[in-house]
Amino acid sequence: MNILETRNLQHSFGPLKVLFGVDLQIAQGERHAVIGPNGAGKTTLFNTITGTYRPTAGEVFFNGKNITGFPPYRLARIGVGRSFQITSTFANLTAFQNIRLAILAKDGIRFNLFRKVDQMKKISQETDEMLQRINLYEDRHTKASALSYGKSRALEISMALATDPELVLLDEFAAGMSKEETQDAVALIRRLTEGKTVVLIEHDMDVVFSLADRITVLHYGKILATGKPEDIRNNQDVKDAYLGDLEV
Amino acid sequence: MKNNLSVKIILWIAGLILLTGLPHVIGIYYTNMVVAFAIFSVFALSLNMLLGFTGLLSFGHAMFFGMGGYGTALALTHIPGLAVIPAVGIGAATAVLLALILSPLVVRVSGTAFAMLHLAFGQLLFVVALKLYKITGGEDGIGNFPMPGLFTESLSTSPVHFYYLAMIILGLCVWLMWFVTKTPFGQIQVGIRDNARRIDYLGYQVPQTKAVVYVLSAFFAGIAGSLYGLSHNLVSAEGSLGLWMSFYPIIATMIGGVGSFFGPILGVAVFQGIDELILRYTESTELVMGVILILVVMFLPAGLMGFISSLMLRLKSRSCKNQS
Repeated sequence: MNILETRNLQHSFGPLKVLFGVDLQIAQGERHAVIGPNGAGKTTLFNTITGTYRPTAGEVFFNGKNITGFPPYRLARIGVGRSFQITSTFANLTAFQNIRLAILAKDGIRFNLFRKVDQMKKISQETDEMLQRINLYEDRHTKASALSYGKSRALEISMALATDPELVLLDEFAAGMSKEETQDAVALIRRLTEGKTVVLIEHDMDVVFSLADRITVLHYGKILATGKPEDIRNNQDVKDAYLGDLEV
Repeated sequence: MKNNLSVKIILWIAGLILLTGLPHVIGIYYTNMVVAFAIFSVFALSLNMLLGFTGLLSFGHAMFFGMGGYGTALALTHIPGLAVIPAVGIGAATAVLLALILSPLVVRVSGTAFAMLHLAFGQLLFVVALKLYKITGGEDGIGNFPMPGLFTESLSTSPVHFYYLAMIILGLCVWLMWFVTKTPFGQIQVGIRDNARRIDYLGYQVPQTKAVVYVLSAFFAGIAGSLYGLSHNLVSAEGSLGLWMSFYPIIATMIGGVGSFFGPILGVAVFQGIDELILRYTESTELVMGVILILVVMFLPAGLMGFISSLMLRLKSRSCKNQS
């Protein structure tokens, strides 16, 4: 069964139609890239799936359950996480505190007013383990706003993954990274998403072809093609519309 | 570590002895000033729960302060033989009730809308308190309500007893508010301040979390207002629901430092100190405080507390450099 499915998903901003009926099928355990030119509706697709907007029409299914229009917190609780294109961490909190909030969320600790969070050994331990996995342990007491760009991106991605979602949507995780940082981030994602289903929006074709099991090409709010990387690479429509004479 | 703990315990005991003996050393005038300082500290701290720790600016926090006062005063007027602690509890409950009524609406907004809504509700309540003079006494307020004693004497004739009562309750409030910031809930709270959207995407419910903070904040403001009413044996619209009472804790918090827990207390201390000093020369304390606020906002945006901690940091790094 598909872990994520959208059926005839449509979205408009007032008179401006952005998604014209998208049918996306994501299989359990795959890494699926959504690519397409600027303005193709990639982020809007993410936003309608993850509850930022309610889609104008169409439906979204997660593990066969209709989750259309679920608010983000409900999606997070059933195992759908996401990261943001523009780093969206807690700027005044340390790296440790940032990850800890994700770990607390994973364990369902929400209205606990009776214990000091510093004394929750299991939570601190899990947080430290996560920080070590993402090579941020040395910076655990650095405020998120003071981290280097690569590190703050790593924190951004890790917060989405620290809640241990079944399905995670990564919106341009490598945006603005240097070649080296990108390589590190790709390795990080490989490490952290083992056994999880990943949908990612990406512009960097090296990243797309090295990470994705399957690719969907979005063009003016419609799916142009879906398939394995080599099929996409050789697809004439995709070449005409997007990849063009890109050397890939 | 162990040494640290015993130093802490000694400091606590010394502090407690000092506070216990204080009224016998400094006399009634200054004892009352200490009580007022403690009341306004709790009031400002309750505002800072919203402003500093959740990122919500309210222009109507006096509502809860006033509800606490009116709740207690009305309870003592109409329930014969009511003891003082239940009376304070009724005041706090009244403030909480108001917060519960408002919360479904106000937790869904933030920023300017939150601030202005509170300005509107605050002024509404002020006018209602003036108009319902049969209940609230209108402009005169509710005065000379019975003051039960802590033990036998009436509190109004025994300011020292009142001092102990107020300090115990307020001290407990400060500790509770401080404790909240250390809990997982306190972390979620500052998460909302920094990035409410991400909190939502992590699986926390933002409006519900805000509602709990809001009600807690109202509870502590209500206690402060209740004790304020008791300390004057008078609750009036101007004195506890007026616009100035909403701005006082904001200004004190800004001067002391929005980002830190103890900042508001420092702000209230500065406020009261200056009040005491300049009242000898001029009546326009607001003018002086206004100028101080402008200076702080322009030159110390993190407040006095932020200034102190950045000074400490600089000293520390200098001594580190000297060592190496």
